[in-house]
Amino acid sequence: MQTLKRNLLAVPILVWLGLLVGIPLVFVFVLSFLSRDSLGTIVFQFTLENWQRVLDPIYLRVFRNSLLLAFLTGLVTIVVGYPVAYITANLEPKKRALSIGLIMLPFWISSLLRTYGWMILLGNAGIVNNILLGLGIIDKPLPMMYKFGTTLVGTAYMLIPFAIVAIFNSVDKLDRSLLEASYDLGANRRQTFFNITLPLTLPGIAGGFTLVFIPALGLFYVSDLLGGGNTIFLGNLINTQVTRGRNRPLAAAFSIAMIIVVLLVISIYGKVAKDDAEGLFL
Amino acid sequence: MKNQRFSQVVGMLMVALLAVTLVLSVEQAVAAAGEINLMTWGGDFIPREIINEFEAETGIKVHYKEVTSNEDMQSLLEANPDQYDLAVVTDYMVDILRQTNMLGVLDKDQLPNYANINPVYHGPYYDPTDEYSIPYAVSTSLLLVNPAAVESLGAQPITGYNDLWQKELVNNVVVVDWSVEIMGVALKALGYEYNETDPEKVAKAREKLFALKPNIVRFETNTPEDSLVNGEAVAGFMYSNQAVKGVQARPDLAPVFPVEGMPIFIDSWVMSKEAPNKEGAYQFLNFIMRPEIAARIADLTKFTSPNKAAEEFLPEDFKNNPMLNLADEVLENTSFYIAVDKVLDEYEHIYLEFKLR
Repeated sequence: MQTLKRNLLAVPILVWLGLLVGIPLVFVFVLSFLSRDSLGTIVFQFTLENWQRVLDPIYLRVFRNSLLLAFLTGLVTIVVGYPVAYITANLEPKKRALSIGLIMLPFWISSLLRTYGWMILLGNAGIVNNILLGLGIIDKPLPMMYKFGTTLVGTAYMLIPFAIVAIFNSVDKLDRSLLEASYDLGANRRQTFFNITLPLTLPGIAGGFTLVFIPALGLFYVSDLLGGGNTIFLGNLINTQVTRGRNRPLAAAFSIAMIIVVLLVISIYGKVAKDDAEGLFL
Repeated sequence: MKNQRFSQVVGMLMVALLAVTLVLSVEQAVAAAGEINLMTWGGDFIPREIINEFEAETGIKVHYKEVTSNEDMQSLLEANPDQYDLAVVTDYMVDILRQTNMLGVLDKDQLPNYANINPVYHGPYYDPTDEYSIPYAVSTSLLLVNPAAVESLGAQPITGYNDLWQKELVNNVVVVDWSVEIMGVALKALGYEYNETDPEKVAKAREKLFALKPNIVRFETNTPEDSLVNGEAVAGFMYSNQAVKGVQARPDLAPVFPVEGMPIFIDSWVMSKEAPNKEGAYQFLNFIMRPEIAARIADLTKFTSPNKAAEEFLPEDFKNNPMLNLADEVLENTSFYIAVDKVLDEYEHIYLEFKLR
């Protein structure tokens, strides 16, 4: 009774989640076992065909593409984000607030607009090429758009604040006396960083990686705009199958498969961070 | 005591909420008499200024739902047939909606201005009896080329699809992003027809298509002409209204009507079977079929008008534009994407393999 009273405030959000996430999810799951006719109308007939197609080698390559992109995005955001988070955590409070504010600022603008911003920056007639041409460093525009690397730049840029904030929290909680002890025992800065700081902030790194990895699997418009649609990721595949491909059951099967991949990643994260109280998901 | 006051406050809030809801719903019911709901492509496909004029003249409010694909409109119409009066969909979708019994028969007695429609567009395959649809905008897909850049790459001048395969054009071709259309390019290049189902021909087209991959720099459905304007590409396969904009932005670009033939699209008005305001919908259709209104729509949207009577109201540069005022020999060499549903699954799979190369 006591716990019920204490958790009463959580009831609305649980009902909300149950209605708007739980039920649709069951729909999607059921849909993935249904058929459709050639006009795209759903037919209530059980089939495993959609799931067979998920395991078709050509579609597995889409999974590999997406996992590669998400993994590299995670890696890039950690490598670039770690120093930012580390320096920010060691700033005096006022400057620290400013730094966090600046990291969050781009989030106030639509991510679609920011993606177009990259096109304006990197395009053949874009700002970077115009400057380089104007300075006489190159004599014809560098083709920077529509490559795998362009997509990677876009997803990493879009998601890096998640990595920074997760690592920042971890560095912030670091017990400074451990670092002093390390110096007292004769370790230099490098040794202290690799033997004390890095292992202690590992949960933050794992958390940041997970927070970046999961949405990176689904950011289809970034690869459409910056990647020029030159390859296919899970998000694009699901998007086309729902719209122009008119195969919603297949899209449902891929969505469920994607959720399974995400759950796997979260369980790996759970293993990494299990001894730590600052877990992301429990 | 405290509790009592709390329940009083809650009670009052409930009453207030109920009152607001009641007022709102009454207002909605009043408005419903004078409003129509239509849906189609965004990007001013039905120009705002035309809608404003219609609203001012008739007092009927127009709600314009913007969608990005025919399939979206199909699902919206299936989910809520009583929430839409009119939609503009592409030819093959008229066929699908007609077969799935989503459309209402148009009463021509209520549409005197239907007489303005060019008889050439009567009785199309997707609506042989002209009962369900009225043509609104005619367009084609064609090649937009930068002839000077093609020459400087050492490639032959582009006259048809086959020229896109020249190895000199590596990373220099932009195309719209849809399986059926890109398979169509490969099929036509081999001298076959669109939406071929013969397995042998499809297999050949698949191989042919794979060979095109190195030349494609970008797949883009919304603004492919930009790639030619900013020099990322020297040739593109795109919709005629996009090519028109490309040439406007950069006059040294030239349209090429592929010798192998090209696809034609007729975006057409259809009425939902359960349209809540058929009266208003007829008024709207009549309005946009007036010759001078149809001419202005054509000029604003850069689509060819199927309205014969509108021709005399078109500006000179529109009439002189070969992409908008299609010559008879060009028109004869066009064909529809028929029975998309029969090939879609297979073409999507081939397209996926193509993209993953």
